[in-house]
Amino acid sequence: MSDVVPPEVRPKPAVPAKPPNVGAPSPSSPFPPQGLGFGGGGVSAPPPSAIPVPIGSHPSSHVGSHIVGHVAGHAGGHAPAHSAGHGHGGSHSSGGGSTLLGYIGIDTIIEQMRKKTMKTGFDFNIMVVGHSGLGKSTLVNTLFKSQVSRKTAGWTRDEKIPKTVEIKSVSHVIEEGGVKMKLTVVDTPGFGDQINNDNCWEPISKYINEQFEKFLKEEVNITRKKRIPDTRVHCCLYFIPPTGHCLRQLDTEFMRRLSHSVNIIPVIAKADTMTMEERQEFKQRVRKELEANGIEFYPQKEFDDDMEDKSDNDKIREAMPFAVVGSDKEHQVNGKRVLGRKTPWGIIEVENPNHCEFAQLRDFLIRSHLQDLKEVTHNIHYETYRAKRLNENGGLHPISSNDTQESNL
Amino acid sequence: MSQADKMKQGQLTNPETPGYVGFANLPNQVHRKSVKKGFEFTLMVVGESGLGKSTLINSLFLTDLYPERVIPGAAEKIERTVQIEASTVEIEERGVKLRLTVVDTPGYGDAINSQDCFSTIISYIDDQFERYLHDESGLNRRHIVDNRVHCCFYFISPLGHGLKPLDVQFMKAIHNKVNVVPVIAKADTLTLRERERLKRRILDEIDEHGIKIYHLPDAESDEDEDFKEQTRILKASIPFAVVGSNQQIEAKGKKVRGRLYPWGVVEVENPEHNDFLKLRTMLITHMQDLQEVTQDLHYENFRSERLKRGGRKGPEPEEMDKDMILQEKEAELRRMQEMIAKMQAQMQNREGDGDV
Repeated sequence: MSDVVPPEVRPKPAVPAKPPNVGAPSPSSPFPPQGLGFGGGGVSAPPPSAIPVPIGSHPSSHVGSHIVGHVAGHAGGHAPAHSAGHGHGGSHSSGGGSTLLGYIGIDTIIEQMRKKTMKTGFDFNIMVVGHSGLGKSTLVNTLFKSQVSRKTAGWTRDEKIPKTVEIKSVSHVIEEGGVKMKLTVVDTPGFGDQINNDNCWEPISKYINEQFEKFLKEEVNITRKKRIPDTRVHCCLYFIPPTGHCLRQLDTEFMRRLSHSVNIIPVIAKADTMTMEERQEFKQRVRKELEANGIEFYPQKEFDDDMEDKSDNDKIREAMPFAVVGSDKEHQVNGKRVLGRKTPWGIIEVENPNHCEFAQLRDFLIRSHLQDLKEVTHNIHYETYRAKRLNENGGLHPISSNDTQESNL
Repeated sequence: MSQADKMKQGQLTNPETPGYVGFANLPNQVHRKSVKKGFEFTLMVVGESGLGKSTLINSLFLTDLYPERVIPGAAEKIERTVQIEASTVEIEERGVKLRLTVVDTPGYGDAINSQDCFSTIISYIDDQFERYLHDESGLNRRHIVDNRVHCCFYFISPLGHGLKPLDVQFMKAIHNKVNVVPVIAKADTLTLRERERLKRRILDEIDEHGIKIYHLPDAESDEDEDFKEQTRILKASIPFAVVGSNQQIEAKGKKVRGRLYPWGVVEVENPEHNDFLKLRTMLITHMQDLQEVTQDLHYENFRSERLKRGGRKGPEPEEMDKDMILQEKEAELRRMQEMIAKMQAQMQNREGDGDV
């Protein structure tokens, strides 16, 4: 999950409106306080005063509502129902900060969110684009360490290369550490394979917009579902063929057109074609071309929240596009079994950072920026689509059970 | 000539071989003449950019054919159509001169819409044939420069699952004009199993689409076993999966040409790593055969097509002209008959009038 750390819990000096129940612990916060093992395991040290000191006459300023409001945005719809109950029992806060004279347990909200998320699970939709044979399915399988994508081992006599780009989406539920994830992989066979590839990005663009439309229609409904199924594409991995020269015209056209509707992560496929020097040169050239064409790939510079984010993301942007090698076969190297490719001149280890940047891509995609990808999709790309949609033709009409009912937005 | 004279004298004066005339010496004379004249060979390389065509050519002939090469960016590539760049190099080895022309085709397959990327290439090949035909039919035939394309290396990307639609269409368009040798580029991307699978798929697809690639001639029965074995191995390895490099890498104590990866060194001239040596052997030992097939098969095809058309560039063969002429003549005859009938009718009328 994301590295959301709740802001420093510095309660502001409260207006002593209603002194809370003396001695009673603040409602709905489970005691004793648990560790802040949020999404990564690892229990942190319990807060200094393990035993709650009855707050007594001190106005226990509740910044609960403040934190909750901030966090709700991140959890994307899960938290509001949850936090509403939490923000109740305390007085409002205002003004600067003051030190807590005891432990309240506000920080346990992280743990509560974690438990909730574990119960509901979350979904992630990833799209892979690139012409056939670049190892897209193998890479996705390697990323998620399971057979989530069917490999086209070659077009059989009956299956010709599709004349237009098709969109095929396959969903799997994978589970790790009690966390369930519904992973949907959207494949785009036929992209860039024809002789005439004009407008081969249109079916893809249409699909992305259709998912936004579906979500918008659900959102705009009068009676909404409790949890809107999210089929929006959170991330698009674009596979660049390792020519060693530069980007092709098709690559720049595609990325230019789609970088404003979806998070594009360019990836250099089959990187074992290039030596280290060739790889560095190629990456530099690709980055320069992307810049020259004004293509903002994920993580976009304009969405960096603060200095810490910016410096982290800058480091990642310098290293992109990642040059990866995928494999689902294991081989024996130095007594260990590793995923790799065996050739007469050596074994290419997929997870060895000296061989390729797969581990970096995986950490970036899954271990640090998975939640952020969803957020940017929801807060930025979806909002852009929504604004555009609502501005045209006087807005949307919500679908209700009563057909004659209509309301303007 | 002195060598030939000496041999002739030796044989004539040798009583043990009375019937020996000495024309068995002819091949030597031809050999010496051709060595003096030098050989010409034109090789065309076709394939998408980034497949290692230039590197492979440099590795094959151990020269640097493209010394000041600047790789254009994608923006510059947008406006370009396929171009033809021919560079000529004179290589000499042990007194034998080879005038090698390499025809490169930058821009092939780069555009989003590659519908017309082969018309330029096909017109180039036809132009060379046209020029040769013109020279051959001219008055002064002493110094005909042979610029016809003798062989075309078609580079197939190792990344795909076989031939792409563009590959199939292009090869079908030129297989009747030039010897096509399919080559799998950047073969160090593939493991051995993947390589075998890809080769089999490509051969299947070539059969399926009826593409006529260049077939090595079988070894004559009087050649020695080694040569026969070599030919067998070469034939079994088509299409060749090659890796090119001109960098010297230190491996196992000796310097070899290869590519250095963190996980090992790919040696260009190691037959277990790739088929580079086989490709080079094929090219060198069959250079003469490639030229012959170009002359006897492709050029003759072109020539007969061309002469059938006559001086016109239009696609009307002569038989149709004859039919048309016949039809025209018949139409004229009919018209004349009608006219005569009309005149007869008029005369009859006049007579009738006159009578009355």
